[in-house]
Amino acid sequence: MDWLIDYYNWRIVSQYASEFAVGLGNTLVAAGVSLVLSVLIGIPIALAHMSSRGLIWRPVAGYVQFIRATPLLVQIYLVYYAVPALVPGAKGWSEMLLGIIAMTLHHAAYMSEIIRVGIESVPQGQIEGAKACGMNYRQRLRYIVLPQAFANTLPPLLGQTAVLIKDTSLLSLITVFELVAAGVEMNSERIVPNESFLTIAAGYLLIYGCMLLLSKGVSLWLAGPAWNAR
Amino acid sequence: MLETYLSTAGVVLPFLLKGFWETLKVSFVAIIAGSLLGFVIGVIRSYRIRGVHQLLGVYIHVLRGTPFLVQLYIFYFVLPNTGIELLHWDSMTAAFVSLSVYTSCYVAEIVMGAILAVPRGQTEGAMAIGLKPFMILRLVILPQAMRLIVQPMSGVYVMLIKSTAILSVIGITELTRQGEVFIITFPAQSLFIYSMIAAIYFIYCYPLLRFANWLEKRLTGRLQGASQL
Repeated sequence: MDWLIDYYNWRIVSQYASEFAVGLGNTLVAAGVSLVLSVLIGIPIALAHMSSRGLIWRPVAGYVQFIRATPLLVQIYLVYYAVPALVPGAKGWSEMLLGIIAMTLHHAAYMSEIIRVGIESVPQGQIEGAKACGMNYRQRLRYIVLPQAFANTLPPLLGQTAVLIKDTSLLSLITVFELVAAGVEMNSERIVPNESFLTIAAGYLLIYGCMLLLSKGVSLWLAGPAWNAR
Repeated sequence: MLETYLSTAGVVLPFLLKGFWETLKVSFVAIIAGSLLGFVIGVIRSYRIRGVHQLLGVYIHVLRGTPFLVQLYIFYFVLPNTGIELLHWDSMTAAFVSLSVYTSCYVAEIVMGAILAVPRGQTEGAMAIGLKPFMILRLVILPQAMRLIVQPMSGVYVMLIKSTAILSVIGITELTRQGEVFIITFPAQSLFIYSMIAAIYFIYCYPLLRFANWLEKRLTGRLQGASQL
């Protein structure tokens, strides 16, 4: 194993293990919080997008298109400069919080598209049947549409979650101390590009592997017991 | 108020457009190189040769599992450090190569998926009339797979164009980088400058997104109307 230490000196990496642990934790916190918030915001955005009133769906569609057509990095910078300047009392907010706001605003648009496609994939007959039973809008949404849309939405939602976790790497550019920032700090103190950047990559691959396993499990779960009994 | 915005725009905009030209150049090269590389990988993977298929699968998973920022750092800091003469590249080459490689993994998945979606009978029929493997691919499989390739590809291109913003971290003077330079000169106008940058990206990407939507409608035909709640 001695030849390997010329290329990847794990002893230096082990000295920085606590930094990497903190960085990984911050990555997961940022990703987790923005995931939950973006799904929660994505549902009303999706419903508003499907509204038949132009006054409701046009601004929402414009928002979604703006998010989809501009880079996340520019959006992060916009939030980073706009929120402390425009929102009263936001002067002292941490970079982490601003980063989570930017990630949430970005991914809420994508989540809303996924949820909207999931809802639209519910057959028209289901909704007509619910109407025939005398259900109102809320009941149709709660008992008929969302449970079916959920199954259609979950696989692409997991894919978007993987993208979201990768996108948190950009938060290092507004000095949030996450996985990439931990590696960059190690590189600037010790000048060890191989060790620092390959360790970052390994950290992300670890998360990606977990996501792959999770999505495999979910697709088996959604396929139902009859399929799994084969 | 408006006066200051106009004067700032007058100073900054020429430089932003110069940066946009750089963004345009980088994205075009990466689109062409990444598509070619991804296309070849996708075609090779679609044959499902044991070993090769799995090896390229690892390549795709590694590229999909890591953020582009990390890949860029690896291409810029780690690869020139390996001691191989060919990999001692400058930041521009590192940007081109990393962006192309990043694009190739998405293109490869799309191409393989499209080729595998062509029914098996098409290949068997082409074999039965005596076409050689390469002719089968060129005359029978690819024309049918093209329908499925074009639409998701434009989504990948939009993603690629948006990823070029990240190149600013290794000092490529593209659109985002030009903006960062001017934030130092006009700290009070940072919000306005980033809004202009966002607007330029929007003008570049939005037509592509619309084109993708139009293609999707055209290729899938008019399915049943969207369900109304």
